[in-house]
Amino acid sequence: MWGFYFNELMRSLPFFYKGLWMTVAVSGLSLIAGTIIGFIWGIMRASGSKILRSIIGAWVDLIRGTPFLVQVFIIFFILPSAGIELEAFPAAVIALSNLAACFICEIVAGGILAVPSGQREAATASGLSAYHQLRYIILPQALRTILPPLVGQFVLIVKDSSVVSAIGVVDITRVGWLTVQRIPEGLMVFGLVGILYFVICYPLINFSNFLERRMTVVSTRL
Amino acid sequence: MISFKNVNKWFGDLHVLKEINLEVAKGEVVVVCGPSGSGKSTLIRCINRLEPIQKGELVVDNMNVHDNKSNMTKIRAEIGFIFQSFNLYPHMTALGNVTIAPIRVRNIPKEEAEKIGRETLTRVGLGERIDSHPAQLSGGQQQRVAIARGLCMRPKIMLFDEPTSALDPEMINEVLDVMRDLAKEGMTMMVVTHEMGFAREVANRVVFMDEGQIIEVAPPNDFFKNPQTDRGKFFLSSILTH
Repeated sequence: MWGFYFNELMRSLPFFYKGLWMTVAVSGLSLIAGTIIGFIWGIMRASGSKILRSIIGAWVDLIRGTPFLVQVFIIFFILPSAGIELEAFPAAVIALSNLAACFICEIVAGGILAVPSGQREAATASGLSAYHQLRYIILPQALRTILPPLVGQFVLIVKDSSVVSAIGVVDITRVGWLTVQRIPEGLMVFGLVGILYFVICYPLINFSNFLERRMTVVSTRL
Repeated sequence: MISFKNVNKWFGDLHVLKEINLEVAKGEVVVVCGPSGSGKSTLIRCINRLEPIQKGELVVDNMNVHDNKSNMTKIRAEIGFIFQSFNLYPHMTALGNVTIAPIRVRNIPKEEAEKIGRETLTRVGLGERIDSHPAQLSGGQQQRVAIARGLCMRPKIMLFDEPTSALDPEMINEVLDVMRDLAKEGMTMMVVTHEMGFAREVANRVVFMDEGQIIEVAPPNDFFKNPQTDRGKFFLSSILTH
């Protein structure tokens, strides 16, 4: 029986590749958008006005303090009642981008605040504008702190993307659910699902570790 | 060049500068001394608005520093500021440290800024170390890079906030030598320091502060030989016996 199911599963592989591609598309787009928005929010959170800082802070807390599944449902099922109707794919990308942005915002703000205040004072005293301070003095130093956890965060976002299968996006997890109804061998089917996630995440984990080592070496040398 | 008129500053409820009146002329070297917590660092940090003041008027080179209409970038570009902890940019070489502000603030072309940077680093005795990062330099060398960083902006005023306090004793003189040369060349300087030998030799006037007030202002010989106030006498006796 097992052999029969295995052959069935092998025949379903193209379906899994489609799911893999969907997972890569959803999490890839969300990582790009989330990184850009997260950096903007993080910079504002570390150096913007008080009002801006508390608005962003409150939003980040709200998103971090609610389950991602609930956020996805709100965007997909509840927003339409307010007249905003979204397909599953854009709804998934919006929800995941927002989640990524919130986590990345905290990483970026933390990195900026970890730069010693004397750096900002010296730059201010020399007449550098706020933009030039950020661009040439603060961010290059903050990136050393930011990069390793940022890439680590990418791994978490790829894994969190499995949640969007709940609104019908046919990603790897959804493909698993659909396949297991034909091939009732859960361990085998979801084993394959797990392997496919791992194939995406493992290089990222290695990259994060590499950055961590490299940044430590650089900061001890400097 | 620098003019304090009834300047007052508070940190919350703490009154850290009280009715400060002081004029510093062009080319003058003024040493500020006093016990810790007397407000001397705060005094010079107000000059380029690293600290805001709450009352009074502070005019630098005919520009009102604490008027929000003033162009602070322009004022700060004319004032070099040297910190106790150097605050060099660790991710840049010595040359990068001294050229970033001339390039970005003064809009000097990179090649010219680097030429000025090399000359200035050579002048403070670091011609061999222009490509070194701060972590590869000793404390005294780092502070000399910091002074060169200030000088590359061709400032009208240099402010020093305890420039030798973080240095090992054997490195203090290499920094003081650079400052002596600057003073000889006619730079307007205000120096917060405990180096009384330097004050005696280089300063035109000594300002003695305690508890946020200026207690005495006198030429160094008069102040050191014959302080006019009890607080001045007490301060001098305590630093001379330690």
